Amino acid sequence: MSAAVIDVQGLVKEFGAFRALDGLDLSVAPGEVHGFLGPNGAGKSTTIRALLGLLRIDGGTASVFGLDPWRDTVAIHRRLAYVPGDVALWPNLTGGETIDLLTRMRGTKPDPARRGALLELFALDPTKKGRAYSKGNRQKVALVAAFSADTDLLILDEPTSGLDPLMEQVFNDCVADHTARGATVLLSSHILSEVERLAERVTIIRDGRAVETGSLAELRHLRRTRIRAEVSAAVPDLGGLDGVHDLGVEGRWISCSVDPDALEKVLTALTGAGVVSLTSTPPTLEELFLDAYRTDPERTP
Amino acid sequence: MTSGTLAGTTLLVRHSWRRDRVLASLWGLALVAVAYASAAATSSLYPTVRDQVAAAEAINASPAIVALYGPILDVTSLGELAMTKMTVLYSVFVAALFVVLLRRHTRVEEESGRAELLGGTAIGRDAPLASAVVESSAIAVAIGLPTAAVNVAGGLPLAGSLAFGAGWIGIGLVAIGIGAVASQVSASARTCGAAAAGAIGAAYLLRAVGDTSVHWLSWATPFGWSTQLRAYSDPRWWVLALYAVLAVALLTGAQALRSRRDLGSGLVAARPGPADAAPGLTDALALALRVHTPTIAVWSAATAVLGAVLGAIVPNVGDLLDSEAAREVVARLGGDGAVERALIAAELSIVAIAVSCFGIAVIAHGGADEQAGRTELVLATGTSRARSFGATLLVALTGATWLLAVSGAAVALGYGIVGGDVGDTFGEILPAALAQAPAAWVVVALAALAFSVRASWTVAGWGAVALFVTLGQVGELLGLPAVVLGLSPYTHTPSMPVEAFAVVPEMVLTAIAAALLGVSWMRYRTRDLG
Repeated sequence: MSAAVIDVQGLVKEFGAFRALDGLDLSVAPGEVHGFLGPNGAGKSTTIRALLGLLRIDGGTASVFGLDPWRDTVAIHRRLAYVPGDVALWPNLTGGETIDLLTRMRGTKPDPARRGALLELFALDPTKKGRAYSKGNRQKVALVAAFSADTDLLILDEPTSGLDPLMEQVFNDCVADHTARGATVLLSSHILSEVERLAERVTIIRDGRAVETGSLAELRHLRRTRIRAEVSAAVPDLGGLDGVHDLGVEGRWISCSVDPDALEKVLTALTGAGVVSLTSTPPTLEELFLDAYRTDPERTP
Repeated sequence: MTSGTLAGTTLLVRHSWRRDRVLASLWGLALVAVAYASAAATSSLYPTVRDQVAAAEAINASPAIVALYGPILDVTSLGELAMTKMTVLYSVFVAALFVVLLRRHTRVEEESGRAELLGGTAIGRDAPLASAVVESSAIAVAIGLPTAAVNVAGGLPLAGSLAFGAGWIGIGLVAIGIGAVASQVSASARTCGAAAAGAIGAAYLLRAVGDTSVHWLSWATPFGWSTQLRAYSDPRWWVLALYAVLAVALLTGAQALRSRRDLGSGLVAARPGPADAAPGLTDALALALRVHTPTIAVWSAATAVLGAVLGAIVPNVGDLLDSEAAREVVARLGGDGAVERALIAAELSIVAIAVSCFGIAVIAHGGADEQAGRTELVLATGTSRARSFGATLLVALTGATWLLAVSGAAVALGYGIVGGDVGDTFGEILPAALAQAPAAWVVVALAALAFSVRASWTVAGWGAVALFVTLGQVGELLGLPAVVLGLSPYTHTPSMPVEAFAVVPEMVLTAIAAALLGVSWMRYRTRDLG
């Protein structure tokens, strides 16, 4: 694997007494779609703004394309496209003018055919003035501007929060097109299904710190499986086993969450009790997410 | 008031006051304080009636002062003399407050979408406008009555002070009407603000023309009524009814316009614009120009008209000087030519303040862009901070300079056409106008400095202008030390064409502006944005 496109280590950012980023680590490899997950106020946008050189960092290191976001701002920006979470447009510029302006400011020439195709895909009217667009349409203006050029990196901050489900599909297709040609994507979101569909690796952030990072497969491997089973013989006592949580017994039905390394023992016990039906569900990202957010004294150093 | 289109008005009045309490209190306090200072200082400055009459006649003999402040109708009235600046010019500052308040609570709320948020609650359709009118009318009374009280405390007669305070309330109500109508015009809060400012400016200008040459025009504008009310000689109480009638007419009109349009829209339906950007729209400077071009166009037209009118009244000032005393004063000043030059210099000093306001507005817009997140969008492209910041400064400074040139040329043209001598006037008046530029640059640079500290601090630019204007108006009256008076950059530019061009103050002002801009950049390049 070549050098990371985004490499953040121990990033600290303070706003007065408030520590918005508290030693954040984040690494995004070339060509991957990296999900950046966290609840509102976790520090996702602050991280992105630090990566864009809009904020000065108070500690740790950050690099994009191996360059310093604060010193080499313009050189970095020529190679990326950014869509903020809350897009504000110039009230008296039309959407089309804004798209062309942003494209040119990035140093690329607008490609009318491609721009036209994107406008059609997103069903966006480019002749409306900025003040007349709804939230979703403002977001589409920024998305069309971002997708209309072949940049090396896309930084998308909650990009679909104002889009309807149909447009989310269009968005997913566009991201797929760009990754197919080798672009790297940092996708910040609190919409888990969106990240689950697009991202190969995720970083979960809480209170300005990365609490989980890894590929979806790795994270699942580390996490619990939800099991629900019906047995024919006496219900075995699983409560005594290490790694079994949230145990519930209802007649012959058993349900519980099982740590990966306890799975074998649980299954053995169930088989011994004459299992009649069994469902096991891998944890959804939602559960990983909630798990990571849960204020867990053991994990808080 | 629990149902119907006015539901929630009282609630909104309280909410509006909660938001206005600092701005309205400071503004009102400043007005009342200046009124008191003027009332109290005048009797000691001019202890005998003879002194007062001489001072009043000198004012009437100076067309520059009459154009700015209006004439003194009764030269024996101490009150009229004391309130020279308060009567008309400070009425404009009273009016400005209410235009700001009305726009803030109606159109700005609609543009930001907050009105929609409220519209979804149990708030009646007409409540926002009604509450803005009620709240600001209460503020008008809360400024007018104390003004009357402090004038009495300053030694002026009771009846006259009441009439004077009522006159300010009247101007306030008219301004509320103007603000309410202007806020219906366009979906853009900026355009609405420009419409209101234009109406106030036109009313003030009409009065200047009326007071100096075409006298009936003074009766066609509420600022003329302020003088014609004759608060301190023989009050024409019925003039107060004129304010009331005009205010009611404007408010009725505003309500009719409001009921004919949808929330958030203007009177003119939004037209679609170009689907593609012009080829030149490629960088931060082009963007700043594109965003500000409508404003620059409106300002250029307004300053051109203002300049032409101000220039045109200059040759007619001789008509004003038909009294024995006036001719004496004129002779002492150096004859008719000197009087004309003094009037032009006074006009240009007003223009300098106006164009500074343009520059501050551009900087303030830069601050608003950053707060809204538009600057972030630009800076995430290949545009550097230097280019983005520089574009804002460049438009503010060159725009202000351009407007000075436009108004200088317009004054010269108006003066030349009426005086029958186009050509020579340009050589004299255009440089005189441009000589004001360094003072405007300093004020714009102060606004830029505030912007560089924090995006929301650009309001300090307006504070600086207000401070300098106030110092210029009442500083001498209060006997403030020269050091304090000299804080205002406007006092250092040579008062051309009365005085000769002076290199040193111009260079020093320019250097100060450059230093302020340098410090601004040092700060802006290292601070967090957004």
